[in-house]
Amino acid sequence: MKRFLVLLFLAVACTNERPLPPVTSAVDDTKPQEGGTLVRRLDQDVSTLNPIMANSSYDRFVDHLLFAPLIEFDEDLEPAPGIATKWEVSDDGKQYTFHLDPDATFSDGSPVLARDVLFTLKKIVDPQTEAPQIAGGFDTLDLAATHVVDDHTIVVAFREPLAPQLMHFNDVMVLPEHVYAQGDFRRDFVSRAVGAGPYRLVRRVPGKEILLERRPEFWRPKPYIQRVLFEVIVDDATAWNAMKRGDIDETIISTDTWLNESRQPELRRFIDFRRFYMLNYNYIAWNNRDPIVADKRVRRALAMCIDLQSIIDNLYHGTARAMNGPFTPDQWAYNPEVPVIQYNPQEALRSLNSLGWLDTDHDGILDKGKQPLRIEMLAFSGSGAVNQFAPLFQSELKKIGVKLDILTLDPSALVQRVLAGNYQCAYLNWTLDPDPDPFPLFDSSQFPPHGQNIVFYSNPAADKLMDEGRHEFDHSKRKAIYRQLHALLADDQPYTWTVQVSLKWAVNKRLRDVKESRGWGFFGWYPGEFTWWIPRDQRTHEAPPNRR
Amino acid sequence: MLSYVMRRLLYGVLTFFGITLAVFVLLHSVPGDPISFYIGSHGASQLSHAAIDAIRHEHHLDRPLIEQYLWWLHGVLTLDFGHSIVDQQSVIERIADKLPNTFELNAIAFLLSAAIGVPIGLWSATRSGRLSERASAVFFFLLYSLPSFWVALLLMQWFSVRLGVLPLFGMTSDVYLQLGPLQKLADHARHLVLPVVTLSYAQLAIFARFSKSALTEVIGQDYITTARAKGAAPRLVLWRHAFRNALIPLITLLGLVLPYLLSGSIIVEQIFQWDGIGLLYFNSILSRDYPTVLGLAVVTAVATLAASLLADVLYALADPRIRLEETRK
Repeated sequence: MKRFLVLLFLAVACTNERPLPPVTSAVDDTKPQEGGTLVRRLDQDVSTLNPIMANSSYDRFVDHLLFAPLIEFDEDLEPAPGIATKWEVSDDGKQYTFHLDPDATFSDGSPVLARDVLFTLKKIVDPQTEAPQIAGGFDTLDLAATHVVDDHTIVVAFREPLAPQLMHFNDVMVLPEHVYAQGDFRRDFVSRAVGAGPYRLVRRVPGKEILLERRPEFWRPKPYIQRVLFEVIVDDATAWNAMKRGDIDETIISTDTWLNESRQPELRRFIDFRRFYMLNYNYIAWNNRDPIVADKRVRRALAMCIDLQSIIDNLYHGTARAMNGPFTPDQWAYNPEVPVIQYNPQEALRSLNSLGWLDTDHDGILDKGKQPLRIEMLAFSGSGAVNQFAPLFQSELKKIGVKLDILTLDPSALVQRVLAGNYQCAYLNWTLDPDPDPFPLFDSSQFPPHGQNIVFYSNPAADKLMDEGRHEFDHSKRKAIYRQLHALLADDQPYTWTVQVSLKWAVNKRLRDVKESRGWGFFGWYPGEFTWWIPRDQRTHEAPPNRR
Repeated sequence: MLSYVMRRLLYGVLTFFGITLAVFVLLHSVPGDPISFYIGSHGASQLSHAAIDAIRHEHHLDRPLIEQYLWWLHGVLTLDFGHSIVDQQSVIERIADKLPNTFELNAIAFLLSAAIGVPIGLWSATRSGRLSERASAVFFFLLYSLPSFWVALLLMQWFSVRLGVLPLFGMTSDVYLQLGPLQKLADHARHLVLPVVTLSYAQLAIFARFSKSALTEVIGQDYITTARAKGAAPRLVLWRHAFRNALIPLITLLGLVLPYLLSGSIIVEQIFQWDGIGLLYFNSILSRDYPTVLGLAVVTAVATLAASLLADVLYALADPRIRLEETRK
């Protein structure tokens, strides 16, 4: 019956589809060529094209083409000129003077002026904008002292001198006041965009696609690629099939797809398999208010039961690396001398025994004062390697007589319990900012509900280092402070840092000069994707052939 | 007949408020809220508390639960379902954008499986107990038990990736807007094929088996034997005498299936990137987007109630006894 149905449909609906993906040719294609259409995958539709309201990385992917930030990040995620060609910081560290590029224009042709920057800053800090993330970077903005000097100069003032502040100007996607001051700021710019970026919006079809076209009069070196089409494909399997068909040019892929498919010669012929580390890590958060795991010796002992090497080899097939503390190896704050906690269950057991945890009732579970050593771990529901960590940890702990109960929850429910301090430990991950300042995560002033010190960690020595670190503008001194802090946090184990998992990406080989940054992958930095190009003989997805 | 419909309608309105209250209470008793989702899906950077409080305030999340319900009910009665917490868009617009997509896909799948399934069911009823009928029963049970995500992926693998004869995902091609009207229709039809097949095969099995068992039951009754004994032609007996009575359980089925036309399938919509209600529902629940979830619940509730009202009316039309009983009361 099914076969019959299928045949029926075929008879009705089939004509030949798109040709197979183009194959790398022998034509001279070493020099960048202009033109062509890049088809990118969006894992989920953007929620808005208003960059100040952006609330996912997908929003930011698109915003980075349509808008230009006050400052960009370069390949090493160091501040680089954006709309501001240069800037000065006052001696007290509270005032930033930005000099805007006089050539900068918006896609409607009007120049980018200092008052547009001021307008954007005001929108960012206005609570009614409801942009918690971007606004968080400007919590100490002193709006009264912030002023326009002339059309191309603006002074931005803060109440506190903070070293990480400069980084947040990357979030200031400058908006033209004469456009965005009209109408409802939050609701009228969901499918409209006027920005100073290299592309302009052709159309957005919600749930389907966003088409951008290069601005012919762009005020900086123009990107090579003429049109960028974002296709919304939620499902990973579908996206991977689309990649194999040449429907899309790039997609993130799972570790399993990477493992199973990246060695296939017929795929390698036209797909470049890439892998890189982002600024993120996985960790166990230990609630410092919990009577059992508040003791750092217990935390360290439990950490010794994690066989990181085996996890890296078996769960991630070697595509992850062990973490030793709060900074990743790609960050300048990283301290390479801090050791990774070694897998040693015997030592862990000895340590727990010495703390009074003994199996007095011979039930296979350690206990102290009639209380068994039993810990509940929260984990995100779902599938994938990250969800296999908890069961592995559970079986390792069982060997030394610690009972780990796993409770999987959906993100919203889990975060609510963590923020309420209603948990013992949780397996989580963070995505970090380019500036390494760990103040929001570990300072004792940052407890929930108003902060993100979700482990309620409090150590005056760490507080002092973090305070010094974020107020120190001298890079080498700051670096020294953070290395010290790295060692201190690793010793205290408010988290047990586990692994940093690399992202895997598939890129069609027709794209050339695809570079990745240190920590942000392909997108969001400058020039990044603006130097990609497509050889003339390998163009697809051009304007439709005349089939009429 | 009119009072019968009126009474059913009144029940429907009461049930509707019951449903909204139940959904509201259930939704709010699920742990987590839109804010915790927001915090959970963002990185380690500092968040602005003034902005978070503004979100809470705008959506009345800082008010007691009963007050939140009254705010929302007030909105429903004035046909204002509020704005999504995730993307600020009007909930009505969000739903209205996606509802036609889901309806189109599901209606085609429904009609197709009914058009094929019911005749097959009638055919098997006339052959009840024979080998060919038993074999087809086994086949339909097998068909029904195939998981749809697996079938969807297989179909994709064959027809899109290997053979390349059908599009892989989406409702239209990326060149759609530049096509002529006929090409547009063809393009859209081609995109419909795989999702429709995925949605239809299990429904087809339901229709076939359901109509078969309904008809078999009727065929065994005395008046059919009588009709046969009178010498009426077998075809006439089947259509005029048996089929009409077998319709009653089919109407029940219809009442059950119709609401699904509007509720969408998460799996099919996700795999084929069909921009419909199912995906919206799923994502909204995940992000605890209360206004959107409640708006969708209203749509589903209304559809369910309308379908059961329709089924009640159809019962009365198909079976005079139901009508008579009602008037006698």
